[in-house]
Amino acid sequence: MADGISLLRSPLILGNKTAAQVTEDVCTPLDRGPGIAWWFAIAVSLSMFTLGVLAVIYQLFTGIGTWGLNNTVGWAFDITNFVFWIGIGHAGTLISAILFLFRQRWRTSVNRSAEAMTIFAVICAGIFPIIHMGRPWLAFWVIPYPNFRGPLWINFRSPLVWDMFAIGTYFTISLVFWYVGLIPDFATLRDRAVSKVKKTLYGFFSFGWDGSTKTWQRYETVYLLLAGLATPLVVSVHTIVSWDFATSVIPGWHTTIFPPYFVAGAVFSGFAMVLTLMIIARSVLHFEEYITLHHIESMSKIIIATGGIVAMAYMTELFVSFYSGNEYERFAFVNRMLGPYAWAYWIMVSCNVVTPQFLWFRKIRRNVALVFILSILINVGMWFERFVIITISLTRDYLPASWDNYAPTLVELATLIGSFGLFFTLFLILARFLPMIAIGEVKGVLSYGRKGIHVAGEEAGGTKSIKTPVQLGSGVQGGTP
Amino acid sequence: MSKRLFVAYFEQEEDILGVTRAAREQGYEIRDVYTPYAVHGLDKAMGLRKSRLPWICLGFALLGATAKLWFQIWTSAFDWPVNVGGKPLASIPAFVPVTFEITVLFAGLGTVAAFLLISRLRPGKKPLMSFNRVTNDRHALVLVENDASFDPLQAAELCDQYHCVEVEERLEEES
Amino acid sequence: MSHATTERHAEKSRLMSDFHLNTAESSADHDTVASSFDRREFLRLAGFTFAGVALTGCEQARVEKAIPYLIKPEEITPGKAYWYASTCAGCNAGCGILVKNRDGRPIKIEGNPDHPISCGGLCAIGQAQLLGLYDSQRLANPMINGAPTDWQTLDQKLMDRLKEIRTGNKAVRLLSGSLTSPTALALVKRFLASFKDGKHVIYDPVSRSGILEAHERTHGIRVLPRYRFERADVIVGVEADFLGTWISPVEFTAAYRSGRTLEGDPPQCSYHVQIESRLSLTGGRADKRYAISPSDRVSLLKGLLSLLEGKTTRAKPGESSHMLFLNELADRLRSARGESLVVCGSNDVASQMLTNAINEVLGNYGKTLDVQSPSYQHQSNDKALEDLLADLRGEKIGALFIHGVNPVYDLPGGKEIGELLAGVPLVVSFAERIDETAHRAAFVCPEPHPLSSWSDTEAVAGVVSLTQPTIAPLENTRALTESLSAWLGKPSSVLGLIREEWRTTVFSRQTMEKNFQSFWNQSVHDGFAVVAARQHRKGAFDSRSARNVVSTAAQGERFELVLYPKVSMGDGRHAHNAWLQEVPDPITKVTWDNYAIISDVAANNLRLASGDIIRLTVADADPAVTLEVPVWIQPGQPDSVVSVALGYGRKGTERFAKIGPQWLEGKPSVGPDGLVGVNAAPALQLLDGQLLYERQGVRIEKTGRQQALACTQTYQSIDTPPLLAQGTEARRPLIRYATLAAYAANPSAGSGPEHKSQSMWPEQHEYKGARWGMIVDLNACTGCAACVVSCQAENNIPVVGKDEVLRNRELHWIRIDRYFVDHDGDLDVAHQPMMCQHCDNAPCETVCPVLATVHSEEGLNQQVYNRCVGTRYCANNCPYKIRRFNWFDYAHDDAKQNMVLNPDVTVRSRGIMEKCSLCVQRILEQKIEAKKNGKAVADGAIKTACQQSCPAQAIVFGDMNDPASLVKKKMADRRSFNILAELETRPSVGYMTMVRNRSEQTGETSHG
Repeated sequence: MADGISLLRSPLILGNKTAAQVTEDVCTPLDRGPGIAWWFAIAVSLSMFTLGVLAVIYQLFTGIGTWGLNNTVGWAFDITNFVFWIGIGHAGTLISAILFLFRQRWRTSVNRSAEAMTIFAVICAGIFPIIHMGRPWLAFWVIPYPNFRGPLWINFRSPLVWDMFAIGTYFTISLVFWYVGLIPDFATLRDRAVSKVKKTLYGFFSFGWDGSTKTWQRYETVYLLLAGLATPLVVSVHTIVSWDFATSVIPGWHTTIFPPYFVAGAVFSGFAMVLTLMIIARSVLHFEEYITLHHIESMSKIIIATGGIVAMAYMTELFVSFYSGNEYERFAFVNRMLGPYAWAYWIMVSCNVVTPQFLWFRKIRRNVALVFILSILINVGMWFERFVIITISLTRDYLPASWDNYAPTLVELATLIGSFGLFFTLFLILARFLPMIAIGEVKGVLSYGRKGIHVAGEEAGGTKSIKTPVQLGSGVQGGTP
Repeated sequence: MSKRLFVAYFEQEEDILGVTRAAREQGYEIRDVYTPYAVHGLDKAMGLRKSRLPWICLGFALLGATAKLWFQIWTSAFDWPVNVGGKPLASIPAFVPVTFEITVLFAGLGTVAAFLLISRLRPGKKPLMSFNRVTNDRHALVLVENDASFDPLQAAELCDQYHCVEVEERLEEES
Repeated sequence: MSHATTERHAEKSRLMSDFHLNTAESSADHDTVASSFDRREFLRLAGFTFAGVALTGCEQARVEKAIPYLIKPEEITPGKAYWYASTCAGCNAGCGILVKNRDGRPIKIEGNPDHPISCGGLCAIGQAQLLGLYDSQRLANPMINGAPTDWQTLDQKLMDRLKEIRTGNKAVRLLSGSLTSPTALALVKRFLASFKDGKHVIYDPVSRSGILEAHERTHGIRVLPRYRFERADVIVGVEADFLGTWISPVEFTAAYRSGRTLEGDPPQCSYHVQIESRLSLTGGRADKRYAISPSDRVSLLKGLLSLLEGKTTRAKPGESSHMLFLNELADRLRSARGESLVVCGSNDVASQMLTNAINEVLGNYGKTLDVQSPSYQHQSNDKALEDLLADLRGEKIGALFIHGVNPVYDLPGGKEIGELLAGVPLVVSFAERIDETAHRAAFVCPEPHPLSSWSDTEAVAGVVSLTQPTIAPLENTRALTESLSAWLGKPSSVLGLIREEWRTTVFSRQTMEKNFQSFWNQSVHDGFAVVAARQHRKGAFDSRSARNVVSTAAQGERFELVLYPKVSMGDGRHAHNAWLQEVPDPITKVTWDNYAIISDVAANNLRLASGDIIRLTVADADPAVTLEVPVWIQPGQPDSVVSVALGYGRKGTERFAKIGPQWLEGKPSVGPDGLVGVNAAPALQLLDGQLLYERQGVRIEKTGRQQALACTQTYQSIDTPPLLAQGTEARRPLIRYATLAAYAANPSAGSGPEHKSQSMWPEQHEYKGARWGMIVDLNACTGCAACVVSCQAENNIPVVGKDEVLRNRELHWIRIDRYFVDHDGDLDVAHQPMMCQHCDNAPCETVCPVLATVHSEEGLNQQVYNRCVGTRYCANNCPYKIRRFNWFDYAHDDAKQNMVLNPDVTVRSRGIMEKCSLCVQRILEQKIEAKKNGKAVADGAIKTACQQSCPAQAIVFGDMNDPASLVKKKMADRRSFNILAELETRPSVGYMTMVRNRSEQTGETSHG
């Protein structure tokens, strides 16, 4: 089929799919009943989730004391997990928004699930700031609502309030963005659905989409605008998260390079997570022709780039701490490298700085198994980065008399596991009921990397000899009025 | 009074583009073109105006920004002034992040709301016109048989040149 | 006619039909009808129901008499605090206290500023007496053979038994701790006199008998001198922890501090040398600390004595550092004849005699130590105790009355003593609870808590204090004096007895008041009276006795064991007091346990780490005594010495097993044997008339078991770890100190460079009215932890238990940071009380999302409990780490104990942040007071809890906007500095540089 392939650009979607085939490939998994693999997966993730729920319930009834925190270390696992999950979320928005603006058309086959990942990650993240409160049942007090207590408003100078608004906005916009993307696909599902229930359900969610070009045109505009909004938003979110620390006075927290550092880290970890999920998804749902090695490679490249930035940030941090001449600052960083938690620091460095370097090699980039392992290592490393920044800085700050160590309790570990359980549970459920690939968008890029092709709908697969209207001549095909 | 519509189905992007352009040149009234995905250039081929949604977006953005900034200054400097960490009552720099977030939120939601409104999309709505496989792999060109001068055969002729796979006539459903 | 009939018929039928209609209707929908006509019915039923409900309610509700406060006693205003002058009974020192009463219950104890002994200070133990009052485990009734009874029956039975004893002429002994109450002493004498062979035997678990014995031999007079540290320029403490636990710490701390005020030119500052075998609180303060092992003490004292007598020639430069030290010390002492004071803390008579000789040679008697009008704080006589034990063994004792001591627990061979008690026909105990000894006694006659009964005290000759009840006794108890008078056949109220005693013996010793009643009233009001001291005639100094003291020698390889009282636990009589159990030891910072202190060298040799449980075997004891205690590695400890605190392992401390939060990973506060700590008393030695606290030839073995020790400080040194100090200043400028020489040259030596404060934003918030501030003089602070407990009592701070302390979640609002400072080989200890610094630019305020911590117009950093949602961001962002979080709901279910709560302070709930409020409730109290009198709050009118109880008066609080205020003056002093001022937090709490009396010209701080 070499003749069908452009010499300049390799096609994004392999196997010379027709639009009809795309519809079939993406939608049939939803018709089929769940396989044994799915049941196994959901069983595991649900039990993880349940464990977490039990832990949280116990903690809510007993007190934050059931966590390993103390007078010196007020935040550890809770906020570490929060920042970690928020970071994960960023890749989704990046793929759907920033790559869209950069016209990276390969994004189309991964953006749907990446966006879903964003939303689920933000849900996981959002749980922690709430349950980490001493009195979570009063969490709504951080919302400025009219009241008769003064009137008593909130402190808009507090980074936690910024967080609240940032996460809220981020979640809403991501959700909207994701749903807008889904509308045409719902229409597709609606029109091919056979069972009455599915038809009405999908019909309900498809908002009465009929594929009119007028709507398509506005749709494209909205999509562009949302992308344009989401891009600065995603940057702002992790910037603000980083300000939780950057605006404080604690050595190791009070660092001006945090915003870019955190954003890069977020994208870094996010793409690692996307890879992890995509590699699973493509093999389980047989999307190898949609999520191709090309995709994996491109994402690996992004990981190299962002990983580079992260490594740079680590070095800058060290340099600045020494160059600043601030003894507390210096100590904080020496303590990271050689103190009681040095092991955490070195795990972080080896996972986040060393691991990505392997991806320089094309062979490794195209070796799915290896990339999978590396992506998981990077996720581990990024979790530890947050732990190092948040916890180690707290354990030893200004007054040596108030130094103290931190160790997580079983409850905390269970909560962390639970958050992963929630994440995968949501993802698995999604895989059952919604198209994991943006059908409409993929159809748009089918022709990419191929010469103008003409394939009769019924004859799938290989390209036939290409006809032109001239050769065809007259003669009415199909029904006449 | 319902109108008669002439519907022709195509399978290739370039065909629908071509036929639309041709139909427009030959003075047919194009009701709309229905496609499974956003076919680029089709809007130009139909001669549609650029959308005005960006202006709506801008409007909402400005609204969000001003409202939130005002709210923060009002609550912390006027309605309930209190000394927090020795900082000024109206600590403008500290108010920037939230202002930005609200700006984005307003802009985003406003735009989407406007889009749904203009395109008359809403949960549970039935599509006005449904064409076979148009959300799957077919493109449908819909012409209006506005007067006697409209000749279906002629139209079919035109369509055939662009590998039309099916042609049909139907009455426009009143919405 | 027919017409009429028809009419009638019609009429009838109509009626009928109506009737039918009605019946039909009524039968048809009878309930609508019912509901329509039965309003009355409803009311009737309703009435019944209500009655029913009410009745059942009555059945269930416990009947309680609520008495409206219609006619209130005129001297009581609800919600207003009343103060009663009294005397502390925490130990024998007899400090004056003021008891704060709210609505009829004591809620706070404070030092009495006018009291000649304590001068306003009060130690941790004194502060904690309040909790003891509300201890729900005190005996509620007198007991006979373990069964509760009433006093009549008890008196009946007891007097019958006494009759038998009188007729049988059996020996009667009253065994007690030092009794400082003249009334009690008189009654005891009278009571014992009523028997043919009645003797009063006195011993103290922490005995000072050696001092009295030594004076009997050297000065022919058995007294405990009154030590006058304020008059001494050179102070030499030998094993005497006089600022922490020795005789009268509060009095001595005040005196010591008054000798080191750094006022005048040259700045006045005494020179203090401490020679000791364990690092004590006093040693940590010393200008020169010299570590010895107990076996070297006698020879050292002899060496010093002979140097002072000029018998030995001065050391040559080449001589041992030991001799050089002695020479220097001798010179210092010689230069301060009559103005020096050498005190020895050991109970070993030999050492005490040498000490007396030294003081005699220096001519200190009558100047810095007074035997004419001595102290009665200790009257123990270990020889008498020894005799008593002999008599017990010989079963010569007919009746034994035990008061205020717990021989089965606090004496060596306690087990044996317990068995001996079983052999005594009549044992009567006056214990407040069934302790180790009391449960061997047939009769237990509990005494009321000192805060709820009358008593009197003559702790030092000429100062008689009164103890007055501040609440009706909470249990059915009776004072010793009352019981004795009852058994003497002329029962009388304790008040009557005291008044009688005072009328006869005290009133006559004063000249101020002419009539007794007014003298009495004045005394009750003041809480004390200063009267003429009974003069004791001191014999001529007998130098021989001291001369022929033989010095002991250490026994080779083995360890020497030193048993000592801990600052917070003393002799262990307050082991039931949770506040005291949770006070961090001023030196080790360990709570909730006692432990074997060894040096790091010894630890390395034995491969021991802190927390390893070791077995101490006292070989030369017979039978051999073993203790199993966890190890604590302590800088400043001589390598050959292991020290263990007394006062732990008390029966009844099982009660603390469940103190603090109970949860998944929570652990009990008690040790493996179910008690808090281990009783070290069995290792004591009662040898020829001396109760000895030092043992030779002690073996240490590793048991392989561990026991975590709850230390509140994970890092001990002021220098950051060498490995991590790379490229940074090892010593952070947190505690600043200078030598006296450096200070004399430059008053701001050590307090570092002035921090030039500049602001990023316009200063919008100026403090127009008052602006509260505090300053802590590190030169005065001894780290005695009195402030910690005082704060705990004032601010309703719960006890969290050992496990929570292990997790570093103690709730004390004041944390006394203790740093070890390596001063070229010698070890210095620096204490720094850390409470909320009330920063003007408070980092905690900015980050709180819900405005739960904000700044007041008077410069206070306020924590709004009911607004706090508990994000803990403020605590993270506090550079001083003084914020405390309520990790759990801390128990408040002991109703009796809850009476200790201060009604002016919120009891915090779970999940919220709390911290020092600078006692805002006290500020408001005084502001209201001032407002009522229409004038401004006078400087010094407001005293925070910590400030009030500080024996060294190291803490000063006041209005920084008032140029005349003391705090303002101190802030202006060149010794004052702020911690981490470079962070621009602008704290309202300042500190003052610590100055040590040394000659080298250094201000020892990284910025000095």
